[in-house]
Amino acid sequence: MIGEIWDLIILQPVINCLIGLSSYLFGSFGLAIIALTIVVNALMYRLTMKQVKASKGMQGLQPQMAELQKKYGKDKQRLAQEQMRMYKESGLSPAGCLLPMLVQMPVWIALFQAIMRLVAVIPENLLGLSKYLYSWSIIYTTLPLQNKFLWLDLAEGDLFLAILVGATMWLQQKMVTPTSADSRQQAQSRLMLWMMPMMFAFICLSFPSGLALYWVTSSIIRIAIQYLVTGWGALAPAATTKLSGRDKRLKRRIVLEGVSKKEVPVKADVGEPASSSEEVSDAEKSEEERPDAGESYPTRLEQIKPLPRRDKGYRYKGR
Amino acid sequence: MLLVVMSGLAVFGCAGIKSVPEGGSGVTIANGTLFLCPAITTQGGGFGCTAPSGGGKLVALATSGARLWEVPLETSGATGGMFGCTPAPKPVAIYGTPTVAGGLVYIGSYNGKIYAINSSLGALRWVYPRQDKLEPIIGGTTVVRGKLYFGCSDGKVYALDAETGDKEWEFQTGDKIWSTPVIDGDRLFIGSFDKKLYALSATDGSMKWEFEAEGAIAAAPLVYDDTVYIGSFDRHLYAVSASDGSLKWEFSAERWFWTKPVAYNNTIYAGCFDGKVYALNAKSGSKVAEFDLGSPVAAWPVIVDSSVIFASEEGKVYSLDTAANQVKQIANLEEKIYTPLCASNGVVYIYSEAQNLYALDAESGARLWSLPLTSK
Repeated sequence: MIGEIWDLIILQPVINCLIGLSSYLFGSFGLAIIALTIVVNALMYRLTMKQVKASKGMQGLQPQMAELQKKYGKDKQRLAQEQMRMYKESGLSPAGCLLPMLVQMPVWIALFQAIMRLVAVIPENLLGLSKYLYSWSIIYTTLPLQNKFLWLDLAEGDLFLAILVGATMWLQQKMVTPTSADSRQQAQSRLMLWMMPMMFAFICLSFPSGLALYWVTSSIIRIAIQYLVTGWGALAPAATTKLSGRDKRLKRRIVLEGVSKKEVPVKADVGEPASSSEEVSDAEKSEEERPDAGESYPTRLEQIKPLPRRDKGYRYKGR
Repeated sequence: MLLVVMSGLAVFGCAGIKSVPEGGSGVTIANGTLFLCPAITTQGGGFGCTAPSGGGKLVALATSGARLWEVPLETSGATGGMFGCTPAPKPVAIYGTPTVAGGLVYIGSYNGKIYAINSSLGALRWVYPRQDKLEPIIGGTTVVRGKLYFGCSDGKVYALDAETGDKEWEFQTGDKIWSTPVIDGDRLFIGSFDKKLYALSATDGSMKWEFEAEGAIAAAPLVYDDTVYIGSFDRHLYAVSASDGSLKWEFSAERWFWTKPVAYNNTIYAGCFDGKVYALNAKSGSKVAEFDLGSPVAAWPVIVDSSVIFASEEGKVYSLDTAANQVKQIANLEEKIYTPLCASNGVVYIYSEAQNLYALDAESGARLWSLPLTSK
C-alpha cells in the first residue's frame, strides 16, 4: 500500500518528468537531472529562503549562546531551557535549517530509483520500468535514456564528482557556520563543517553519479541563494574579523556589564554589534516592558540585524 | 541527519532495484541435454542493495532433471580498487540463452566475453576476446554455417569463426544492442537501441538495408514468409519486408514489446507488456484476437504442436489453441518469469526469477519435476 502510494505520487512523476525533460534537452539525461534539480529548488524557494534566514538568525544569536554557556555551563538542564527559550523568543528553530534537506529526501530516493531504471544498464531494472510509465507517446520514443553525460556514466559512482559534491557542500556549510567564542561550540561547528560534506562525498562513490549530479547542482543553487541573502558569510576574508575600537568597547561592555542579553545580538563571526544604538534602546525598552523580565532575547527574526560589514566584497541584502 | 539520509536510501532507495546484474538464461535442448546458465546469487550489499555472492556457470542437465555437469565461468579480472583495496571480482551474469552447434555451447556474458564450451565434457574451448573484454552482452548468440553472431552493448554486431573464436567481421550501429540476431539465408537481422532494425550480409557484415522505428528495439526479430516482425519500445509491432526493409504494416499496443513473436499458420502471436497476447494476420496485420494474461509478457513464447505456450510475468503459464483461438491457463508457478520458454517432446522448460527450473507437461501443465538452480 505504502509502496503504491510512493510510486503514484513520487516515483512515477519523477521518472516521467525526467524522460520528458530528456526528450526536450537533446536526449541528455544529465541535462534532465540538472533541469529537475532547478525545478525542485524553484519549488522549494520559499522554504530555502526561510532556512537561509534562519541560519543567519542563528549566527546572530551566537553571542547570546556563548553567554548562556558561560552562565549555565554547569547546569545542563537550565542551559537547554534557556537556549530553547531564546530560540522561541527569536522565532527561530534549529530544526528549521534541516527542513529543506528532509523535504528533498523523497526526491533523492526517487531519483536514485529512476536513474537505475531509466538507463539501460541492468536488464532487470529496465524490465521493471514499464509499469511506471505514463501513456504519453514522447515517453516511449525517448526510452531508454543515455547513461553517458560529459565524462560520467550516470549509473556509476564517480570520484571527481564525489569530490565536487564534498567541496560544494563544504562551501555552503562554511557560509552558514557561525564562529563561536565558545571553544566547545567551535569544535562542534568544525566537526559538522567537515562531517557532512565528507559523508556525502563518500556516499557518492557508492551511488550513481546521476544522484551526485543532483547534489552538486543543488549545492551550487543554494550557495548562490545564500550569497544573495547573506554574502559570503564565514567565507569572507579573515581580516574582517578584526574588531573596530567601537566594537571592542561594545563587546567589553557586553561581557563585563552583562548587558548583552538585554540588548542586541552581536555577530559572533565578526564581533560586531548586530544593531545600531537606536535599536539597542528599542530592545532595552521592550525588555523593561516585560513583566517576567529576567533575561530576554530578540523576540523576532527581524530584530536580528547584522550591521553592514565594512570589508570589501561583502554584500549584505538581508533585512 | 546523516543517519536519516542513509536509512532512507537504504530502506526505500533499493526497493525493487537491482544494483548488480543477476542474469539467468533460458533453456536450450540439444541431443537430450538441457543447457542453461542460472542467475547469480546475491546477498545484502552496502546501503541495503544487493551484492553478488556467487559467479555464473553453465549447467548441463538430463531431461529428467539429473545434473550432468556444470562449469563455473571465469570472473572478470580485478582492475584496481579504490584506496588501494582489491575489488571483489565481478560475477559473470548470463542473460542470453546458450546456443548449441557442432558440439560446442556458446554463451554471451554480461562481463563482455563469449565462451565456447564443449557440450559433452564442459571443457572450455575458447573465449572471445582472449584479452580484455567487450561491453556487456545481453542478447543471445546465433550460430549458422560455422559462424557465430551476436550483438553487444558497444553497439556492434560481431561475427566470429564458431570453431576458433576468431573475429570475421563487425558492424557498428548507433547504440546498444540487446537484441538476438536472426539469420535467414545470407541475411542477418538485428534490432538496436538506436531505433533501427538492420539487415546485414551474414557473409561480410555489409548493410543491406535499415528500417527506423520510433523507439528503441530490444526484442529479437522473427522472420516468416519473407517478412521481418519485430516489436519496439514505441509500443508498435512492425512487419517489414525482408527483401528491402519497406514497412508492410504496424500494430499499436498499449505498452512496449520485449519478446520475440512466433508465427503459426499465417498468424503472428506477440506478447506485450500491456499483459496481452495479440494474434495478428501475418499479411495484413489485422487483429485476429487478443488474450489478456493479466500481467506483462516478457518471456519468449514457444510452439508445441498447434498450441503456443505463453508465460506471464506473474508466473502463470497459458496454452493458446491456435485452431480455436482460445487460451487456457495450464499452470501457475507463482514466480516471476522473464526468460525464454523452451519445449521438447511435449515438455515445456521454464526458468523462473526465483531460480527454479520447471519441467511442465505442455498439454496439461502438470509439473513433471522442478529443480532449484543457482550459481552458488
